[in-house]
Amino acid sequence: MTGPGVNSCTDVRGMHASLDQLREQIVDLLPRLRRFARTLARDPHDADDLVQVAVERALARSEQLRPESRLSSWMFGILRNAWIDESRARGRRNRIFAPEELGENVGDASSESHAEALSLQDALARLPDEQRTAVGLVLVEGLSYKEAAEIMGVPIGTLTSRLARGRDALQSMLADTTGAMQ
Amino acid sequence: MNFSEETLMAYADNELDSQTRSAVEAAMANDPAIARRIAQHKALRDRLKATFDKVLDEPPPQRLVDAARGVPAIRREGNVIPLRRRQAPRTAWPQWATMAATLVIGVIIGQFFLRMPTSGAPVAARNGQILANGTLAQALSDQLASTQTPDAPVKIGLTFKSKTGHYCRTFTMHASGTLAGLACRDHNDWRVQVLAQSAQGESNSTNGGASYRQAGSEMPRSVLQAVDDNISGAPLNADAEASARGARWQ
Repeated sequence: MTGPGVNSCTDVRGMHASLDQLREQIVDLLPRLRRFARTLARDPHDADDLVQVAVERALARSEQLRPESRLSSWMFGILRNAWIDESRARGRRNRIFAPEELGENVGDASSESHAEALSLQDALARLPDEQRTAVGLVLVEGLSYKEAAEIMGVPIGTLTSRLARGRDALQSMLADTTGAMQ
Repeated sequence: MNFSEETLMAYADNELDSQTRSAVEAAMANDPAIARRIAQHKALRDRLKATFDKVLDEPPPQRLVDAARGVPAIRREGNVIPLRRRQAPRTAWPQWATMAATLVIGVIIGQFFLRMPTSGAPVAARNGQILANGTLAQALSDQLASTQTPDAPVKIGLTFKSKTGHYCRTFTMHASGTLAGLACRDHNDWRVQVLAQSAQGESNSTNGGASYRQAGSEMPRSVLQAVDDNISGAPLNADAEASARGARWQ
């Protein structure tokens, strides 16, 4: 079973016929790629940079896309790998916790949901990468455990335990935040 | 019955087989604590969705659409420095920046060559089409922009794939002035899409000796327009150009 949202997007199996078609399918996927990137990178601009890197990488190695594979899964995998590379290369984790980044760029939501979104995103940013990726793929993108495990290159058991730990950590952080705000 | 947290989580995520699912539901009915834990898992999921689904409503930045469609970086608006260094610039795009000075006299398909003997002409009319001929045809088939010599009689500029899937190449050459054009592969021929005369050659002398060395970097606007109209994706880089030649531009 898959969660909501999985089939909401152009996801053509076995039809990656031409590069032009692939390009347009990627354009159609951009909203979801941006959403997933936003769960990985705390800063929206960094998230879009990540999407751009992933799109360029995907196009550069489009011949590696197997006909039977789902384009969105393939792209999520590339995006995740790009994020891992970036994290390592730039020591991003240090920046994530830099105080001046907290509270920036939370969009144009109303002030109430603004506070909630902020705390949720901050909590998510504090998770270890592997847990955050699991949460992003399953809970935000709505992928099945199986798809998420394949993208992360781990057995389903590993995926579920990362997801469980990530959820647990989020629950307790959000409970703390909520308590502090009230 | 006692269920692990992971099982309750999997229930909330709709990942259980029907048997386990029924068992969890039976337990929920009897134990409010189990129901509460599942509700928490679902609530977190809903909250995450609600927060991040807002991204779906935003139109993606143009730079991402351009990246997907392969619009060359030089022409992108609002271009930003990506996290990682960009790939090496594509062959010959930077040359485009210098062509503002080029004045296009005209698009001169056909008419220009009426006075030339067919055998030596760079283009020839065949079956109602203008095809590359002689040295031009040879250069289009054999020459690589990455390895061509400065004194080559024909200079290849960009090579790219057209929207119809054919290889196309821009060229400049010196013949009664500096000519520039775009030719696209059509079976075993090169069909000339546009041919234009660059003014620069004319301003120095009709033989164009002084301006000859610049031929490689001049590209009249009409040719560029034809490139824009035909190009699909980005121009080929040196490797792709070489392998396209290896496949005889098919």
